[in-house]
Amino acid sequence: MISYIIRRLILAIPTVILVTLFTFIMIHLVPGDVVDLMTGTQNYLTQEQLRELYRSLGLDKPLMIQYFSWIYNLLKMDMGISLRTGEKVLKMILERIPVTFELAVFSITIAVLIGIPLGMLSGVRRGSKVDIIARIFGLAGLSAPTFWVGAILIVLVSRAFPKFKIFGYTPFFENPISNLSSILLPSLTLGLLISSQVMRITRASVVEILAQEFIRVARSKGLPEKMVVWKHVFRNSAIPVLTTAGIQFGYLLGGTVVIENIFSIPGIGRLVFEAVSKRDYPTVLGSVLFITATIVILNIIVDVIYTFVDPRVRLE
Amino acid sequence: MRRFFKNPLNLISLAIFTLILTMGFFPDLFTSYDPYEMNIEEMLAPPSLKHIFGTDQFGRDLFARVVYGLKKSILVAFFSMVIACAIGSAVGITSAYFGGKYDIFVMRIIDAFFSFPPLILALFIVAFFGTGMLKLIMSISIVYTPIFARTVRSFTLPLRDVNYVLAAKSIGRRDASIILFHILPNILPMIMVTFTMNFSTAFLTEATLGFLGFGVPPPEPSLGGLIGEGRNYFLGAPWVMIYPGLVVAMMVFSVNMITDSLQELMNPRK
Repeated sequence: MISYIIRRLILAIPTVILVTLFTFIMIHLVPGDVVDLMTGTQNYLTQEQLRELYRSLGLDKPLMIQYFSWIYNLLKMDMGISLRTGEKVLKMILERIPVTFELAVFSITIAVLIGIPLGMLSGVRRGSKVDIIARIFGLAGLSAPTFWVGAILIVLVSRAFPKFKIFGYTPFFENPISNLSSILLPSLTLGLLISSQVMRITRASVVEILAQEFIRVARSKGLPEKMVVWKHVFRNSAIPVLTTAGIQFGYLLGGTVVIENIFSIPGIGRLVFEAVSKRDYPTVLGSVLFITATIVILNIIVDVIYTFVDPRVRLE
Repeated sequence: MRRFFKNPLNLISLAIFTLILTMGFFPDLFTSYDPYEMNIEEMLAPPSLKHIFGTDQFGRDLFARVVYGLKKSILVAFFSMVIACAIGSAVGITSAYFGGKYDIFVMRIIDAFFSFPPLILALFIVAFFGTGMLKLIMSISIVYTPIFARTVRSFTLPLRDVNYVLAAKSIGRRDASIILFHILPNILPMIMVTFTMNFSTAFLTEATLGFLGFGVPPPEPSLGGLIGEGRNYFLGAPWVMIYPGLVVAMMVFSVNMITDSLQELMNPRK
């Protein structure tokens, strides 16, 4: 198991390098760099001062050298300094991880609590009214823009409870209750949207499993339908749901950009968004690295959990 | 096909889809308002019989702006999918057909793309390229190309060793003609389904990028651009965001419903 995990991590290195290199090249291909952004249209700096500015930001060296020095510094746990705030990029990322992590955990919990039972119900009673409603719900969740659902929730809540503080974020250790209330709406929005996808996957796998031989055997030996569903269908349908968890997480991270934006939550998604809009290159690169690494590691974790849920699967 | 039309949900979806498409391409049939005409007296007026979607911050009729903006959104989603589908299919087919080092190389790059959330990737590309219709098309197509490449590759793989391909090879037909005349026709229906599915998500991507401030910019915004413009006013005047968002959701829902039903019907196991 451990050797498997190590091998997967080593295999992931080229992917991570490729992603950061791609980002690096893209950043530099595009016209207009951070110095242009800093000086604006009214540029009163002399050539000498401009050159000094480039030099101090390390932007005067050849592209490849810049990339390698970034990697070199990375190995020393140094991701550089934000061009916008002057803070250390690593520190900024570390500060924002707990916020997004909390949002992610709550959203996924909501998604699973709604998605799996609904998917099971709809798959077991295929063609019934429940199934039709669940299918519409599933497709609606897939089709509704994240910001739109968020906006509707905000409008509804602000009309119904004018005192409820919708925007912003309070850290848990500062005030647990207002922390929970500040994370409630964002995670509900994201959770609802993800639950529709969880529901669809659960339904599809339930339908698939119900058609198999061992279900017919279980039924024909007189097992009550409840037992068939719980003992045979539920456990087996958990596997595909788990497999897509990795993909869902990518969706989740994309979703957090929108959600953190609309609810003014200082998480990774907002960091990425601000860094990209302001062309804060070190922060962009740092967050790209963080996101890619998270997804890669999460995929490995999912594969490992997989073996516990399904004994037939062996890690190779 | 008959079973498809028996389901009322499919019929409704098809109707919504057709209606939205017609609105997009013949906007003047649906509204007599000028989407650019400002009216200071009616700034942010709530929906009424006169303005069914209300008005925006300049007193412009929101329904007219949505109807006129639709075309841009449809075109952005459509053309970015055409580009992504063309390049992605070419890469996917050749990668599966030729295999070897080329295949490994291509798959590595695609894996790298997949280790990244599509929305964030789109945000990066569009933020660096800048906004504008063509740039938006370019950005969205870059995001979707690897998706097509991977899917089309998986369609092609089983065809590489089927008899008629081997036979064509043995009589000395050139690779290009085998790909064009033997492989492509066989996977075309599946490519088209992939196209439709991704078209709806591309439509969603356009709107979301618009919300984040990277839509087709004013004065002739797409739906995404409209939503981005309305963002700052939505707490006091929810309609500026809710209605354009509703149109996006209905469009995407109808396309998803249609493809979902078609897939359900085509899958013999279910």
